[in-house]
Order: sequence, then structure tokens, then C-alpha cells
Amino acid sequence: MTRPSEPFSTVSPPAGPDLLIGEVRTALLQHSVALPRAAAGQLLQLRHGERVRTSERPSGQAVSPDLLTGVDCPLPTASGRAVRGVGTATSRAVLTEGRLLQASVRVRIAATGGSLRLPWGHYLARPGTVEPSGRLAGADLVDGHLSADRLPGGALDLGAIAERLLTDLQGRRVLDRRAPFRSRRTRLLWTATRAEPGGDGPGALFTIEDGTLRTLRLTLERVDPVAVAAFCEDLALHDWLLTTLVQLVERSGLGSAPGPEPLLRLRPAVDHLLHLWMPGARVDRALAPIWAGLETRPGFTRQWAATVQRIRDHLALQAIGLPAHSYQGD
Amino acid sequence: MLIFAISDKGGTGRSVTSANIAYRRALPGADVCYLDFDFGSPTSAAVFDVPSALRGTEQAGLHSYLRGEVAEPQRIDIWAETESAGLRPRPAQAGQLVLLPGDRGGGEFVLGSDTVRRCADLFLRLEEEFEITLVDLSAGRSYAAQLVLEATALPELSSVTARWLVFHRWTRQHIIAAAGLVYGDRGIMATGASRGHERDRLRDSVRFVRAAVPSPSSPMFAELRPAQALWLSICDEDLTRLASEHKLGPMLTLGTVPLDPVLQWREQLITDEDVLSSQVANLETAQAFADLAAALTDDRRWQSPL
Ligand SMILES: Nc1ncnc2c1ncn2[C@@H]1O[C@H](COP(=O)(O)OP(=O)(O)O)[C@@H](O)[C@H]1O
Ligand SMILES: [Mg+2]
Repeated sequence: MTRPSEPFSTVSPPAGPDLLIGEVRTALLQHSVALPRAAAGQLLQLRHGERVRTSERPSGQAVSPDLLTGVDCPLPTASGRAVRGVGTATSRAVLTEGRLLQASVRVRIAATGGSLRLPWGHYLARPGTVEPSGRLAGADLVDGHLSADRLPGGALDLGAIAERLLTDLQGRRVLDRRAPFRSRRTRLLWTATRAEPGGDGPGALFTIEDGTLRTLRLTLERVDPVAVAAFCEDLALHDWLLTTLVQLVERSGLGSAPGPEPLLRLRPAVDHLLHLWMPGARVDRALAPIWAGLETRPGFTRQWAATVQRIRDHLALQAIGLPAHSYQGD
Repeated sequence: MLIFAISDKGGTGRSVTSANIAYRRALPGADVCYLDFDFGSPTSAAVFDVPSALRGTEQAGLHSYLRGEVAEPQRIDIWAETESAGLRPRPAQAGQLVLLPGDRGGGEFVLGSDTVRRCADLFLRLEEEFEITLVDLSAGRSYAAQLVLEATALPELSSVTARWLVFHRWTRQHIIAAAGLVYGDRGIMATGASRGHERDRLRDSVRFVRAAVPSPSSPMFAELRPAQALWLSICDEDLTRLASEHKLGPMLTLGTVPLDPVLQWREQLITDEDVLSSQVANLETAQAFADLAAALTDDRRWQSPL
């Protein structure tokens, strides 16, 4: 999945498509225990005869084969310009540590396309690519995709594809539907464009739009669809972990409610989430600097570590029989 | 947990009471969502005071979702979008309070297996996130009631707890009609059994709620002449007997909401501010909603009375 970056990439001309758009939805698997490897393989067997890829290091992960979804609809342009797109979207499901389930959908936007729709064979020969029906400014599509929530419906909606995949998997009979706690699904809408010579260098702009929606604009030297999708999945996973942990702590009453109640309420987080934090561990080397940048701002690991420390401090105080609030002021 | 709110007749107080129950449940910290399945007369936007829902839900409401036109129905965060000043901002400890409105104009359905499938998917999806999913159904033997009875009979939903609240007013006609809706011809029991529900389990998941009940001891009746007070309490006894005869007795009644002057005039949520500061609503009303909210998940109240 994380293909090592090619040794020649610094000297060869920028390769790959100019523009990728995608969405990742992340949820807690609706199952009482971490799904064992064999069952995970079975769950993610979305295409008959195609292998589910699994890896054990640095954490257990299973990745479904790619699915293709036919697309023939208006593209989401911020300007409202009517540009049709025809082709296919690539989607896949990822299960990490048998616990966190993600649906990840992406589309490569071809630079040009004809105004006439071609036979499907043409599009199937270019899996995961959508051809626009006319001229299209990349920035218009980037802005349109990232604000898809506020646009009128009917345009290409990667979220709908992701949502269906998640719902399908969460409803499977192998899952007992007794998740250890309730949680919200999060959404990461992302775009990746190639850095223009003379323009801004490579970088990432991550924005928290609301309680569950995040957007990410990536500008890269080289846009490798597989590596970029894996990067976004990793980011979405850690954003979900942080969002969920912070919310559990907020709602537990830690630091405000007396007695052991808050910590008891945090028990599932301690049992099931804390060990999942491994940011960037699966990310392509070429994209590692982007993760490093996001660690500086907004600083995922800093906030995670502070929250975990807070829980641990309370646990320690509770263990020696000293309620954490008993010495707070008078 | 899924909670279905139903009544035989319209105008019983089902929507207003269930919205208040959802609100009272969310206040101390539960995540609650409220689904407006009253396809005939969706009123939730008015009760929660979210006019934006009325304007914005021409396309992406529950109707469109169930017809397969959108992948997800629109969600409205009540704390953020209500125009009622008394409900904002979100109280510190409160959980999510989310409304899934119906489409304006509603529209027709075909009760096909696709619709049932989508309905079941939605319930499972909401179970992932919300402690309480409260579904306000249409009055009577409706399409909506049939739909949820079919969806909850699917094997995927067998591990999800589903409970029914049957709302009725405290009159002869309403008591008889509510009993008919549950136990009678084409009622919940009969329809449920024909869709594959286990009879005893379904019966034990039904409780009644008496809405807008004039209580002789209420401050509203402090001015009654002795003859009037006597008459009221004789009626009350008659109705109590009638209810027991129709299997709507105290064991199967989850709560009673008194007649409230505010709700008499206006469909709304009763806040603590309404009760304590401005004192326009009665404390007993707010207390009844809070008790019902707690009773939803109080297993002692849902033990088989047999
Ligand atoms: N406890 C109550 N006291 C007085 N009026 C009430 C009470 N509960 C509801 N109402 C009023 O009864 C009317 C019908 O209520 P509504 O919830 O819309 O009924 P339904 O959903 O059953 O059709 C509304 O005007 C409402 O404000
Ligand atoms: Mg109503």
C-alpha cells in the first residue's frame, strides 16, 4: 500500500495527474472486540477472487481490493460552472487494528476530456479517472469539492459512495453490533494538486470545518494516487482518534464531576483507543515532511499526548485515593 | 435504542411530548436524535423552532432518503440552529440533539424492500452514534408504522432494542382507540406478528403515555366549585377503570403529562427557564417530561407485567 518512493523521483520530471480529489470517512467498527485477522479478511473481501492485503507492522491493518463506481454527473465547481464528468471513482475499505473502519474514495481528474461521451470501455481502461466535458480550472474544482456540503446537490458526491460502503460493511452479519462505546463518524474531504513551478511549494492546509467535517488541501511535487490516498487515510484515522478521545473526556466530566465516575466512563477509551496512536507510520517517505508539517500545526500528537496525560494523571490520583479535584482551590 | 412514538389519532400531543422527551434526555448528556416520520404532517421544525429546516428541506429530508434520492438525510443540530433563545447556547453537559426532518411537501412512497432496507440502514447508522433514536410516526395504522415494523423485523436489527410509546389523551374515545391501535385489527401487534416479530417480545416493548391530562389537583383547577371538582374526579375514576379494562393500566403506562397552559397555546419545548424564571409553564409538566426521558431506558419499567 505504501509504495516506497522511487529513487529517481528527484531527477525525473513531475509525474502523475495534476489533480486528485477524495474523501475518507472513519468510524468505529460496530463490534464488541477487535475483529480477528481472518474475519477482517472476510469482511473486506469486496471483490470475489481479489486479495485483501493485510499487514501486521506497525499495527494490524487490512485493506480491501479497489472497487470502481461509474460516474456521469456534473463536477462540483465553486463557480457553479456546468462541467460534466464521466469515468469511474476508486474506493476501498481499510480496517486498522480490527477496530477502526474507513471508507476511502478518490478520483483523478483528467486534464482534458472530449465533449462527447465515449463508450464505457474507454473509461474502464482508465480506472479511477474522471474526464471533464470541457475546460476546467483546477482551483474551481478544488474549492467546489472542499465545499461540497454547501453546494446544491446533484454533483459528483464521493461522500455518498463512501457512506454506502461504510453502511454496507457496518451492517454485515459477522459484526455483533455491540461496539464498546458510541461515537461519531468523521469525514475528511481532500484534494491534491501538483506544485506549480514558481508557485507555492509543497504543503498542506488542514481545516476543521465543524464537529465532524475536515478538509485538507495538499500541494505536492508528485501526485501519486495510491500514496496520497494512504496518507489521507492515516490522517483521517488520527483525526478521528483525537476527536473521539477529546469528546469522551469532555463528556466524562473529568475534572468537574466528583468521584470515580468520570474515569469509569473513560474506561472504553483507555481500553480500546490509546494504543492506536501511530501517526505517519504507514506514510510514503515522500509525504513524511507533510505529516511533520501537520504535527507542527495544528499539532495532532501534542494535543493527543496532553489529553492522554490528563487521563493518566487522574488515574494515578484515583489509584492513591486522592480525588483530583480535592486540592483545587478552597 | 430505538423509540417509536405513535398514536391512533392526530392532535393527541405525541409530537410535542416526544420532542420534549428528546430534549430532556439530551440535557444531562445523552446523544439523542429525533426523526420526523410523521409523513402526513411533519411538525418537528416548529416544535424545535428551526425554521431553517422548513426552508431547507425540499430535497434532502427523510422522504428523499427513503426513496433513495440522497445517500444521507439532512441533519439539523438543534442547539446550533434553533431560533428559540431559551435553547441556546448548548448547555455545558448536554449531549447532541439532532433533528432529521421530513421533506417539505412529503410525497408518496412505495413500500418496497428497498425502502425497508434503507430504513434499517438508517436505524443501524444512528445506533452507532446515538443513545436514543426517537422516531415520531404518523397517526394511526400508517405506512410509516408498517415500514418501521418491517425494518425492525430484519435479522440485522435483532440485537437493537426497540420500544414503543403509544400516546393518547385521557378521554373514553382516546383510550379505546389507543387500545385498538395496539391490540386490535391491523394494529401494531397483528402487523408486527405478520412481519415476523415475536409476539411476546413485541407486546412487552409497548407502553402508553397519557398526554395533556387535566389533573383535578392541578393549580389550573384551583378555582373549581365543589360540584365541578367532584364531577372531575368521578370522570377520572371511570377513565382509570376503562383504561385497565383495555390493557392500558398503570403497569403499562410509562407516564402521564399534565395539561399545560403553555402547550395548550403553543407547540414548543418547555425549558427550565419557562418553569423557574418566567413561570409560564408548570413545574409538573417539565418534571413529567424528565421522568419519561429517564423511563425510556429504565429496564424495571419495561419488565413483562405478566
Ligand atoms: N401537555 C399538554 N398540555 C396542553 N396541550 C398540549 C399538551 N401536549 C400537547 N399539547 C397540544 O396539543 C396539540 C397537539 O399536539 P401534537 O404534539 O401536535 O399532537 P400529535 O403529534 O399527536 O398530532 C398541540 O397544540 C400541542 O401544543
Ligand atoms: Mg404530530
